[in-house]
Amino acid sequence: MIVQTAPATTRTAPPPAPVYKPRRRKPSLYRTLSRVLIMLIVIVQVYPLAWLFLTSLRTEQDFATGDPFALPGSLTWENYARAFETGDLGRNILNSFIVTMGANLLIVLFGMMAAYAIQVLGFRLSRFVRGLFLVGIIVPVQIALVPLFIDYSTVNLLDTYQSMIIPLAGFALPMSIYLFSSFFEYIPRETYEAASLDGAGPYRIFGLITLPLSLNTVVTVVLVNSIFIWNDFIFANTFVLSEELKTIPLGLQNYIGAMGKVDWTATFAAVCVTITPLLLVFLVLNKAMIQGLESGATKG
Amino acid sequence: MRGAAKAPRTERPTMLPNRSRTSVLVFLIPPLLLYCAAVLFPILQSLFLSFFSWNGISDMEFVGLANYVRMLTADDIFWHSFFNALLYLAICLVLQLGGALVVASLLTSLRRGRELIKTLYLLPAVISTVAIAFLFVRIYSIDPVGLLNQLLHWVGLGSLERAWLSDVNTVLAAVSAPEGWRFTGLYMLIIYAALIAVPKELEEAAVLDGASKWTLFTKIRFPYIRPVWITTTIMATTYGLRGFDIPYLMTNGGPGQSSELLTTYMYKTAFTSTDFGYASTISVFIVIECLVAVGLILFMLKRKADS
Repeated sequence: MIVQTAPATTRTAPPPAPVYKPRRRKPSLYRTLSRVLIMLIVIVQVYPLAWLFLTSLRTEQDFATGDPFALPGSLTWENYARAFETGDLGRNILNSFIVTMGANLLIVLFGMMAAYAIQVLGFRLSRFVRGLFLVGIIVPVQIALVPLFIDYSTVNLLDTYQSMIIPLAGFALPMSIYLFSSFFEYIPRETYEAASLDGAGPYRIFGLITLPLSLNTVVTVVLVNSIFIWNDFIFANTFVLSEELKTIPLGLQNYIGAMGKVDWTATFAAVCVTITPLLLVFLVLNKAMIQGLESGATKG
Repeated sequence: MRGAAKAPRTERPTMLPNRSRTSVLVFLIPPLLLYCAAVLFPILQSLFLSFFSWNGISDMEFVGLANYVRMLTADDIFWHSFFNALLYLAICLVLQLGGALVVASLLTSLRRGRELIKTLYLLPAVISTVAIAFLFVRIYSIDPVGLLNQLLHWVGLGSLERAWLSDVNTVLAAVSAPEGWRFTGLYMLIIYAALIAVPKELEEAAVLDGASKWTLFTKIRFPYIRPVWITTTIMATTYGLRGFDIPYLMTNGGPGQSSELLTTYMYKTAFTSTDFGYASTISVFIVIECLVAVGLILFMLKRKADS
């Protein structure tokens, strides 16, 4: 799967980790120093997350009084029980899942269609349309909040799944189109010509050639976008009001009680529950995801 | 990288000999509709609204440039938020790009474990901003003592201990750091990929000529990765200028206005004071700011490359 993604990334992606032959002797001091530095920086990146998980297993008293770096005196699952009592985590996760799937479906399908029209079919204004889509990469999402809020209230879309899915998909579309177009460039003309000679029209070619060949790019696009959509806060916070539609980021806010009083250990338990699905996906698929992020970014 | 998609297409407008005009429309219209509804039309609408005074309920009133005049000449909070946003951006850029460059360079000298370190380093990027906000509230806290204060205590800098989020002098830096921390792994990945693509022959030749590590970096590696560096700088800058979640969640701009950014100010103007017209004016400004920033980066880095 990973090797296959290559066509979309070849221009910038490295050849798979070059084997370092010890071709020159480096001062060992430099080497040791750089190792220590890397370890330190990795600890700074990872320790807070480990601490988050540890804290979710602490007792409340332990958290309130103890040294924050100390290992918990005793482990408890109580926080998780309280976390599930306080909020509707299951529903939040389900909602996030629905929004992520819906937006991804649009991003992939529409991204592929637009890229097909621009790159494969071609038309007179294709450059202009491509430029139009590029605008969406630079423009910050905040510009859409007020207009969409007004538009949604006119057409009764406020407080629906669609109200989140539409802007999430819209703003992710340009990058998706870009990735698909770069990939389509690598499908040889001859493939299309042969299919055309056999009498296949543009629709059949899309369904029988372009779509199946692009599966790896689809994986890349879905993985990269899922991170951002799963974690989206700003659109959900602006357009969603009712408890039943709240996604994870909104659900987590329910843990801040009145007067800003927070049951921290239960909150951390809830945080752990909600970040685990994406974390697992990331750890399992990290190679594909890293490749995707690299290719997505270096294209901008 | 740049313009890669444009180059070969010009002479060959289509890859399919028999395609109809309808088929182009069938494939193009649905994505274009979604994009217009979610992105293009709202941009125009914001521009339009920025010339009106409107609270969402009463009639819209055309006020011409009054919103812009108010913003640029009479609104202290606006300018305060603007400078805060610049400082926020600076901190994010240093942490993200500086950190990314250092780690990526160090990583190339490592023989084993690169993949593992890449994965670990990227972990924070997967966590939602709400979770990060909760986490950092605890890291900065003073009672019960949080990670940062405890650490300062241990290394003998106990005098620096404070409630980082309530102190007007530290709050802006405190809300910027998590954003920098979160995405530095992403930029590291990109820069690392560029660094290991630098031809080994170039580096070896330089080393044979007796180049130091520093010269090797400034004369060979960095010029080679400049295009990628430009891209990452643009990404980090535009993301930094639209930063919103973490300051909004951690302090909501406070205490007072000391961690207010343009984005949080715009958001409050729109959805707390329901001043849609003025909020649109601010968001138009944010867009212009992004475009200017991108233009400046391209201008500066291109010119340096030419000289």
